[in-house]
Amino acid sequence: MKKLVLPALMAALLLTGCKAIGGGSADYSDNSKLKIRFHVDAKSAEGMAYKKLVDGFNKEYASQGMRVTASFVARSAGDSNYEKQLNTDKLEGTLPDIITFDAPNCAAYAEAEYLYDISSYLSAEEKAKFITLNSYQGKTYGIPIQESSAGFYYNKALFAQAGINVSGITVDNPWTYDQFKAACAKLKALSGITAVDMRMDATKDETATYLLYPFIYASGGSFVDETGKIATGYFNSNGSKRGFQFLKDLVDLQYTNYGIGATDFFTGKVGMYLSSGWTIPDLDNKYPTTFPNRDAWGLLPYPKDVIAASANGSWSYAVTDNLRKDKSAVVTLLKYLTNANGSKTVTDATGMIPANKEVNTQYGTNSPEDVLYQQLQKTGKQRPETVGYPQFSVAFRGVIDGLRDGNVSTLVDNKAAALQNELNKL
Amino acid sequence: MLLIALIVLGVLVLGLTAMIIIDMVKNHKKGQKYHLKEVMTAFLLILPAVVLSFFFVILPIFYSLGYAFTDFNLLKPNDINFVGFDNFKTLFLEFNQHGEFFLSIRNTAIFVVLVVPIQIIMALLLALFCNNKRRGTTIFKVCFFAPVAISLSVTAFLWLIILSPNPNGIMNSILHNFGIPAQDFLGNKNTVLIWMVIISAWQGCGYQMLIFLSALGNIRKDLYEAAAIDGANVFQKFFTITVPGLKPTMLYILITVFIGACRVLIQPMLLTGYQDRSVTISYYMYQQGFTYRHVGYSCAVALLMTIIIGTITLVQRKLLGEKKR
Repeated sequence: MKKLVLPALMAALLLTGCKAIGGGSADYSDNSKLKIRFHVDAKSAEGMAYKKLVDGFNKEYASQGMRVTASFVARSAGDSNYEKQLNTDKLEGTLPDIITFDAPNCAAYAEAEYLYDISSYLSAEEKAKFITLNSYQGKTYGIPIQESSAGFYYNKALFAQAGINVSGITVDNPWTYDQFKAACAKLKALSGITAVDMRMDATKDETATYLLYPFIYASGGSFVDETGKIATGYFNSNGSKRGFQFLKDLVDLQYTNYGIGATDFFTGKVGMYLSSGWTIPDLDNKYPTTFPNRDAWGLLPYPKDVIAASANGSWSYAVTDNLRKDKSAVVTLLKYLTNANGSKTVTDATGMIPANKEVNTQYGTNSPEDVLYQQLQKTGKQRPETVGYPQFSVAFRGVIDGLRDGNVSTLVDNKAAALQNELNKL
Repeated sequence: MLLIALIVLGVLVLGLTAMIIIDMVKNHKKGQKYHLKEVMTAFLLILPAVVLSFFFVILPIFYSLGYAFTDFNLLKPNDINFVGFDNFKTLFLEFNQHGEFFLSIRNTAIFVVLVVPIQIIMALLLALFCNNKRRGTTIFKVCFFAPVAISLSVTAFLWLIILSPNPNGIMNSILHNFGIPAQDFLGNKNTVLIWMVIISAWQGCGYQMLIFLSALGNIRKDLYEAAAIDGANVFQKFFTITVPGLKPTMLYILITVFIGACRVLIQPMLLTGYQDRSVTISYYMYQQGFTYRHVGYSCAVALLMTIIIGTITLVQRKLLGEKKR
């Protein structure tokens, strides 16, 4: 028996180690049958909005014989599960024509040839309609469905109690790091109040990276070079260390900490709360005792150091680099999904900011939505374009987590080295 | 994929057929009658288990072994290249540089060294406690076993609430009553592994308790009676009767707890996320394969981990097994 097991094992090793054998590929010759895959739960409000759009397209283009079929992969299953499906589709030659993806994955998906360069299909006018586009190495690979931005929600009663006046702070005239710290000091002086929830504990997922990376850009720092594969000298540049030091100062001065409860801001125990636009509905509806109406809270932009920078990026559509040679029908579908109606349909369901500027947003001047919208257009900085984005995000979160007890310079140098090690494997 | 599966399955079927033929020839040479019908029935009975094991255990192991020598990236399934021992070289380089792989081994080693004895001793003590036939023992058994029946994700979430660094967290509120300031139990690199050990031992010991209870029931009562007549005290009875009687069970529990501890993944993942202070080998492997998309490299870690665990388990068996004999 032993004599038989060894050859079997060797045969399997050789076969599995070299090349996987693909199945049959889909028929891409018929340009009237298109496929799209959404990375969202079909039964969620967002999923229903996509379904509505797909149905609308099928109705509108029925006379031309075009029909699109949609499939959904729940986000709760994680990126790796979605990618495993893409992987299988790629292997078998059955990639859908359009997929949705999280903006930071653009570089990795583009380099792995999942995405198709749509630069030539979009005129300058069409490109100008969008607040941002998903690009990698100068080529356009995706069009955002919706946009996001973040800022500092603040409790007006606590600000008044602490004697903090923020009336002059706008996106065009943001506050400085020193002004920010001064406000924190006044809030901290109030009994039983934590000055600001910087979400330092949100390092188990992308939250901390998304909310805190603008501080590094604002301090003149960066993360990787233009190839996206060199982190040493960028991630741990003096500017980057200055940004991380600012965050550590907030911890050391006890303006923020890692143990702030999830509802502490909403119950009046915290003066400021760093979060994205998705907090607006919560403040409007869920905490009437602390925040009975919009007069009780406000939204301030990110503070500025060397430059002003704020968070952006959300989900996007991309045409895939599948075996379909004629992409004209696919581009028609893409343009339908990203026009003003398409953008509005989805953002009405999600509460996010429409990516298409043609959508009439009708935000009141200096309303929280207006602050986010202005920030997006004027100071929004994308997260680094790198094939190793997950590696970057993990390293960034490692620094944020380590700020509680580490020396900033050593910590950032160590994480830059670890990140470089990971990027070298790509 | 299907072709590879069929080839390997074919080789296995041929192997089984060859086994039957060799057995028949041997019996024929010895002049013994060979009951082919019975042998075939036996093979047919184990066939479902063999087929399932083949698809869900053997085939993935072969794949994993093969991929360990490639640069397989999750996003590039059409571009898998044989890279020889490059993945292993990178692993050893990262170990030498005290990188994340080194940290994962260090943390796993600390975790294993602490959790294995603590969990086994806890399980044994609970079993001894429940082995006495007193009122309410069944309730205790249920209580001690309950954490085993609850999902690790749920218990991790409960412990996150208990160990919250917030001054209003459950544990910190208790400490506050004794005048101790709020602690960041899971954020502190000196305490996080200890809490992981406590949580894991608490969660797992109920299962081992049941096995110990079963083994305790098999120890002859007359041995204890004889020892009592000879004037042996509780400790003498325990070390001269109970411990030797539990030795085979102890070996089984030691090996299973050790292997389980080496594979610890959910606790660090849910309690702290991927951080230097708590990353374990399994978490490092998961991160490389599913987050960083380096499937080839991840398989190399898996292979190395299997070799390390396998070797230590064999040593354990050898040492304890020899004493048993």
